[in-house]
Amino acid sequence: MGSWLAVAPAVTAAFLASIVEAVEAFTIVLAAATLRGWPPAALGTTAGLALLAAIVLLLGPLLDRVPIHLLQLAIGILLLLFGLGWLRRASLRAAGIIPLHDEDAIFASEAADLAEQANRQRRSLGWAAGITALKAVLLEGVEVVFIVIAVGAGPASGRSLPARWCSLPELSSTGRCRASRRILSNLASASCCRLSECFGPGKGLGIAWPGQDLALLLFAALFLGAGLIGSGFARKLAAVEFA
Amino acid sequence: MAMLKELAAELIGMFFAEKRLTLEVLALVAVTGLLVDFVGLDALVGGVILLFGSLGLLIASVCQAARPRPS
Repeated sequence: MGSWLAVAPAVTAAFLASIVEAVEAFTIVLAAATLRGWPPAALGTTAGLALLAAIVLLLGPLLDRVPIHLLQLAIGILLLLFGLGWLRRASLRAAGIIPLHDEDAIFASEAADLAEQANRQRRSLGWAAGITALKAVLLEGVEVVFIVIAVGAGPASGRSLPARWCSLPELSSTGRCRASRRILSNLASASCCRLSECFGPGKGLGIAWPGQDLALLLFAALFLGAGLIGSGFARKLAAVEFA
Repeated sequence: MAMLKELAAELIGMFFAEKRLTLEVLALVAVTGLLVDFVGLDALVGGVILLFGSLGLLIASVCQAARPRPS
């Protein structure tokens, strides 16, 4: 029971990350299916899943051969870049510089792209729909693989419960679902995701923070603050432009 | 082949979408690593540099994106 409680946050985080990415992939598959029907979209989805499984089965065991500190450093740097990108976008969205994430708009755009692609490349629409579904499933699937590796190898899978629970907001709302379209929620989730990312390269460099995982709470506040400050500056700069 | 290229480009874009920010963060991590491993800087001080450096780079990148482009 105790061990289940200990691993539950990491399992939940990986599960929620998978759902978020699956929604993205499903939007694109749905666009392909709406335009051309389910058979090519289902075929592309199945092929994408098979390809993804093959990649994981082939490359997964290679991770064991990489020294753990190098793996922590590499994954930490990638997470830092990934998270900073998210937080940057969240700040720009909060400032109104870039539009909020809109699944409906993505659906419409994918459908239009698909039709245009079929015309331009003189492919059948069914073929284009299948390829689009395959690409969406493969790409979002690889994102899930990266996030699951990060949750598993990164600090969020560490010893204490606070660190594990703090990684949940990152994965539960990355600005994609309706609730997280709200700007503050977007900022908050992006800021929370920074918790583990800042620890990533630090861990690989042998940096030990006072208070260990509890320091994550301070990082959350600092990155939320930085996101809000950046957003405030961006809003002012944009106002100067329009003035 | 074209699809593989497109996939690779999108995967790289996941992590390196903003080139300038990416290069700055990589430089920050490299400098911190050098200071800690070779200059003998206290690891905690290195961590603070990494933390506040990331915060600064983030704010600078957001401001850069919001700044009006000269036409």
